[in-house]
Amino acid sequence: MQGKRIEEHFIDVEPYYRVQGQELTIALAAHQHTIPLLLKGPTGSGKSRFMQYLAWKLRRPLITVSCHDDLSTSDLVGRYLIRGGETVWLDGPLTLAVRHGGICYLDEIVEARKDTTVVIHPLADDRRELPIEKKGEILSAPPEFMLALSYNPGYQSVVKDLKPSTRQRFIALELTYPSPDIEAEIVQHEAGVSRQEADKLVRLAEMTRCLEDAGLQEGASTRLLIHAGTLIKSGIPPRQACKVTISEPLSDDHELVAAIDEMISSLY
Amino acid sequence: MPSSAEQTILARVTAIIPESELNSWEQEELVECLAPLSGHQQELILHQIAVIWPVSHSLCLAFLEAAEPALACLDPEQFAAWVRAILHCYEAQGLQEARRFMADLESHFICTLKGQSGLLLSTIKKRLDLYLRGVAGRPFVLAEATLPGTDTATIFLPRNCTFFDEDDANFLVYKLIASLQWAFVRVNLYCQEVPNEQELFRKMTQPGSGPKDEAVFLNRFFKLFARPDRAMAIYHFLQTFSALCFLQKKLPGLMADSTVYFQSVAAEGAATMEPQSLLAGEYGFLLEQLSHNRPLELPPGPWRRLCHPASWDDSGQILLDTARIYALWEEKPDQEVASPPWFQGTLQVEAAHARRLARRQEVEQQFIEALAIRILPALARKKEAALAPGATPADTPQQADSAADLSLRLPTPQNEPEETGPDHNQVVRHIRLDDEKIGLDSKLQELGREIMDDLGHLPQLYLDSAEKMAAGRSYAPHIQTAGPEGEPLLGTSLYDEWDFRRQGFRHNWCRLLEKEIQPCGGTFIATALKEQRGVIKQLKRQFEQMRSHHRFVGRQRDGDDIDLDALTEAVADQRAGLPPSERLFVRQLRDQRDIAALFLVDISSSTEGWVGKAIKEALLVMAEAMESLGDRYAIYGFSGMRRTRSEVFRVKEMDEPYTETVQGRIAALSPKEYTRMGPPIRHFSKMLATVEARVRLLIILTDGKPEDYDDYKGEYAIEDTRHALVETKNSGIHPFCITLDTKAPEYISHLFGAANYLVIDDVKKLPRRLPDMYRLLTS
Ligand SMILES: Nc1ncnc2c1ncn2[C@@H]1O[C@H](COP(=O)(O)OP(=O)(O)OP(=O)(O)O)[C@@H](O)[C@H]1O
Ligand SMILES: [Mg+2]
Repeated sequence: MQGKRIEEHFIDVEPYYRVQGQELTIALAAHQHTIPLLLKGPTGSGKSRFMQYLAWKLRRPLITVSCHDDLSTSDLVGRYLIRGGETVWLDGPLTLAVRHGGICYLDEIVEARKDTTVVIHPLADDRRELPIEKKGEILSAPPEFMLALSYNPGYQSVVKDLKPSTRQRFIALELTYPSPDIEAEIVQHEAGVSRQEADKLVRLAEMTRCLEDAGLQEGASTRLLIHAGTLIKSGIPPRQACKVTISEPLSDDHELVAAIDEMISSLY
Repeated sequence: MPSSAEQTILARVTAIIPESELNSWEQEELVECLAPLSGHQQELILHQIAVIWPVSHSLCLAFLEAAEPALACLDPEQFAAWVRAILHCYEAQGLQEARRFMADLESHFICTLKGQSGLLLSTIKKRLDLYLRGVAGRPFVLAEATLPGTDTATIFLPRNCTFFDEDDANFLVYKLIASLQWAFVRVNLYCQEVPNEQELFRKMTQPGSGPKDEAVFLNRFFKLFARPDRAMAIYHFLQTFSALCFLQKKLPGLMADSTVYFQSVAAEGAATMEPQSLLAGEYGFLLEQLSHNRPLELPPGPWRRLCHPASWDDSGQILLDTARIYALWEEKPDQEVASPPWFQGTLQVEAAHARRLARRQEVEQQFIEALAIRILPALARKKEAALAPGATPADTPQQADSAADLSLRLPTPQNEPEETGPDHNQVVRHIRLDDEKIGLDSKLQELGREIMDDLGHLPQLYLDSAEKMAAGRSYAPHIQTAGPEGEPLLGTSLYDEWDFRRQGFRHNWCRLLEKEIQPCGGTFIATALKEQRGVIKQLKRQFEQMRSHHRFVGRQRDGDDIDLDALTEAVADQRAGLPPSERLFVRQLRDQRDIAALFLVDISSSTEGWVGKAIKEALLVMAEAMESLGDRYAIYGFSGMRRTRSEVFRVKEMDEPYTETVQGRIAALSPKEYTRMGPPIRHFSKMLATVEARVRLLIILTDGKPEDYDDYKGEYAIEDTRHALVETKNSGIHPFCITLDTKAPEYISHLFGAANYLVIDDVKKLPRRLPDMYRLLTS
């Protein structure tokens, strides 16, 4: 990520994104009015894809950071490096995006530590500035710059939650699983399977999503359906394809996996 | 005068069962049953009586009758297993079922022992339940019965399946019959009232016939006919056809897998069914298609001509079709109706009706409660406005004690021309309270829709009840939400209890109520804080040092900052012509504590002295210290009486801030009843298991052994507590005990394990020892 030039972050080819509702209109409005965006939704519900599409639509570079426990402020803002005995400053992804009026997308923001998340505060309110402490510099974000965060409320434990002071700076969009029709369309497009095949996969996904009250952490996402479809398309028998792409990845609980296998064999 | 042999037996019996619990009639009966047996048999049975008697006296007496024949064919070990199975059956299904189980020793138990029971429902219930939940999109209760069937909420399945030799094949049978029952529910097996009933019935029979006094619609329909059983058989056949078609469409894989099963059923049917009997050919025709997994069609001839499966969702069509076939059968008065294939199951018309009424009540209740909560703020506002000084005095009295002049109404096209009335789209989106429009949330809308689907309209009565309920609450919220003891009830749960004598659980044996303590004022807190000032100050300092902290490590390849020392060195090296080091950074590392602790305090009556003062002081000191440490913690008290009322009292929830209210609740702790430890341990283990933390602690403060008013005493109580603690450890939680019982060393390490407890001989030391112990435990 670091060291990539800004040009490389532009998206040239239109990504496939199937609009589900008002999300695009709202995101475009948010960009226009320089309000940051918070995407909520379960895994594989199209958050990353949506950001790619938005960046393409706005013709802005998209800089994505996957957040994790050890992500430090320097990882976001930048740091000095030693090159050939000299110290050189290297912009972090956030600074890079601010400088060039890009879109900075912080994926799974709750994974980052609280002391890291605070650097985005001045950037996310109407000040729109990024203090670079080490250089004693304050960068002002141009109007094209956009900050976007994503998180998955499903995993949200009491330990990992966004602070209200962070939350309340954003416009929040919820991207849940699409309606069956749209989801089948996406699977059909992405995996290249027939509509009938896609419908069946979506039905299976809905069945697994019903197990969320019964101990399954999260039901099958659109992403898993695409994997299953892709394998089926390549000639792997459907029951087997669904087992390796759906029931096994979803859980290690023996009974849950067995129950999902039974659903698969009832459908195929 | 009882013989001496009988007196010996009586002595043995009373050694097991306290005489106070046994009336003379029961004594006699016990002795009578035991007297004819050999000494060895008596011993075996007496041993089991000790297990069964505390669970249920009637069960025990029933057991005595069945025990002798059972002993004739079971060895002692099998006998014990049989008793366990009886108890299990009793707890799951009640006395009736347990009696049946005992009576049917041969098929219910000996088969299992001999391995002839095929696949037992109990072994696959979990998987089947999950499967069905996914497929149906909602949970069904799975229960045992002789024949498959459903009342639309429960699906009944046989106890075991012996159709095939292999378990997998038998599982498929279970899966098929369970899926079929679900399909029945989906295709509306129990046709409900139609609006134009009389008109519909007139089309089928001569005017005037048919019973009027029958409560259940479907039964009214069957009884229109001279031979209701025939009508029922036809109706069930049509519904089976419909449900199987549905399955072919929805679960094609299942139907493909089931062909082997259908082939065997077809072969069996061909062998056993009287070919001339009514429906024999029709079922044969269905099975033939199913055996080859061909798309189902109705039998050729009159069936296809007379029936219209495509319009069966229309109310009444399937009934009309039934009547048509029935008319056709009038020419064959002497023929029997064939018994249908077993997998079809039975119709449970009354049960389904009862279920529907129960659901109607449930929905009514939920709707009223949710609506009452919804309108509460608006209602309160109106009351306040009415009582405000500016209000005209004449208005005030009525408005204060009745809500009669405020009225809750459904929107109607008249009072709201711009709205689509409820009848148009079947969804009520808002209601009116006087002139105010109140929107309904999605839950209320959903309930409203269910009511309209069921009754055809939303009764004004529901709205009136909601209004009354809300009015009651807005006047006296405390009375409405408080339990009988005054503490507001936060929730109830059921827990199993371990019975060491049978080495098994008593299922759902204990009911635990979670309550909130009303904080009390007074000077206790201020005084205690002052008295313990020194201790608190010292502890705060100690605890502060244990906090999560960040530390820096230098000379890393990359990091958050430059390591100046290393850099200077490297520059120097370079100047000196040496290759400079590349380890020039400092990295910040965190030592994260990430601990969650739950303090569970025994407030049984025996703690009278210590709950009085020392324990409250200790909790206060502990809480003060915890605040400077930053660990997450919760405080609960527990007590109770008998298995139906184990109580836990919330002082501080896990992430609740430590406020004056919490202090007030600590001050309000007071001694209550007995010490049944199992349920609160299980309850809080479950709660802690959902808390995400590296270390989870369950710290129990008590003054003695677990003991309750009933038979929760001695070894039984110790063993249940021990088992609960084992369950706790297994779920990754560390239990720890602080006890004031100086006799504790005799049993406590058996309960908690060698290093997991602390005995304090003087309660005054507690405020100091509790935090010390915590510090040791977590650093
Ligand atoms: N609305 C959509 N239009 C097009 N493709 C979609 C859509 N929703 C999901 N997908 C497909 O699902 C896949 C997973 O989506 P994506 O990676 O955007 O999920 P995500 O929400 O970012 O998940 P995570 O939280 O796990 O990062 C995408 O690769 C894409 O193929
Ligand atoms: Mg993503």
